[in-house]
Amino acid sequence: MKMKPKSILAFLALVLALLLAAGAVMSQEDVKSVNDPAFTSPTRPAPIFFHDAHNAKAGLDDCSVCHHVYEGGKKAEGASSEGQACSECHMKGKSTRPLIKAYHGMCRGCHEERKAGPVQCGECHSKRGPEALEGRGK
Amino acid sequence: MHTLYYLAAGPFAIAAFVLLAGGSLFRLVRMGLLARKKDPAVFDYMSARYGFRSLFHWLVPFGSRGMRLHPALTIASFLFHVCAIVAPVFLYAHVLLIDESWNIAWVHIPDGAADAMSLVVIAACVFFLVRRMKSPEVSYLSTWRDYAVLALVAAPFVTGLWSFHQFPGFRYAGIIHMLSGELLLASIPFTRLSHMIFFPITRAYMGSEFGAVRNARDW
Repeated sequence: MKMKPKSILAFLALVLALLLAAGAVMSQEDVKSVNDPAFTSPTRPAPIFFHDAHNAKAGLDDCSVCHHVYEGGKKAEGASSEGQACSECHMKGKSTRPLIKAYHGMCRGCHEERKAGPVQCGECHSKRGPEALEGRGK
Repeated sequence: MHTLYYLAAGPFAIAAFVLLAGGSLFRLVRMGLLARKKDPAVFDYMSARYGFRSLFHWLVPFGSRGMRLHPALTIASFLFHVCAIVAPVFLYAHVLLIDESWNIAWVHIPDGAADAMSLVVIAACVFFLVRRMKSPEVSYLSTWRDYAVLALVAAPFVTGLWSFHQFPGFRYAGIIHMLSGELLLASIPFTRLSHMIFFPITRAYMGSEFGAVRNARDW
């Protein structure tokens, strides 16, 4: 059976779409801020965070540095928690305070340790939004 | 920048709190020893009833004759003191930072309220500055230290607003905010700001002297 040019085109388009979708899932290139839905009424703008650019600059290959798993109060080596919401572990009831503390500890804590990256409130919680800063500081 | 931040957020902050607590204790003990030497009668005449009566009149707006004679100063002064204490102590960002460092937390006020209160503090400082320069009886008694204290108090509020609103150069404003706040805390026991620790004592002293000894009012 001979395929019609139209169906070949449709097939190719489908393959391309699947590849793009997979690329989008695999890569975090589109992550520009830490916009956690657990914060239903945020008081500050979502922190600007270009996932891939950040990790390239910080030399982070191991996902579990940030996406950690704790078991019995100890960090579980080799386990990581991508795809899991931080709020699953870091919320106690409805209070977002532990979640805020976890984020601040993870981001600012590491920046303080390495003496690199933003440490002051307005440096991450920028009122200008990620678009204004895209391409800068990568 | 990171080194400055590290110093301001770590050792300088600890030093400021230690100087505030230690310095206050030192000044109180020294004042007590001085009173025992020069004016030992104070300890006998100190009266809780007259002391608290005087304190009450001086803590209520327009509760003393001096306040009624100077309404503008009274309003500016009360607003200033309430805002200068409430805004920094109950600011959400400050409460969070202390919670993150020491696991101690207390209630906080909305950012908008802290914003307005900071503006009130700055406006009051401007009022105090103009008064100090223009009013002959005040300017006669003023030295550079009085102006310096005024600047010291205003600095953390100006830089705090600057940092919060992310005006240009806010990273530097943030560092200056931390450093000036620490300098302010550390200087409380050693400048005229020591009225924070001595006010209740001097007021109670005057109240006791006027109430118990002279049978008169001191407000």
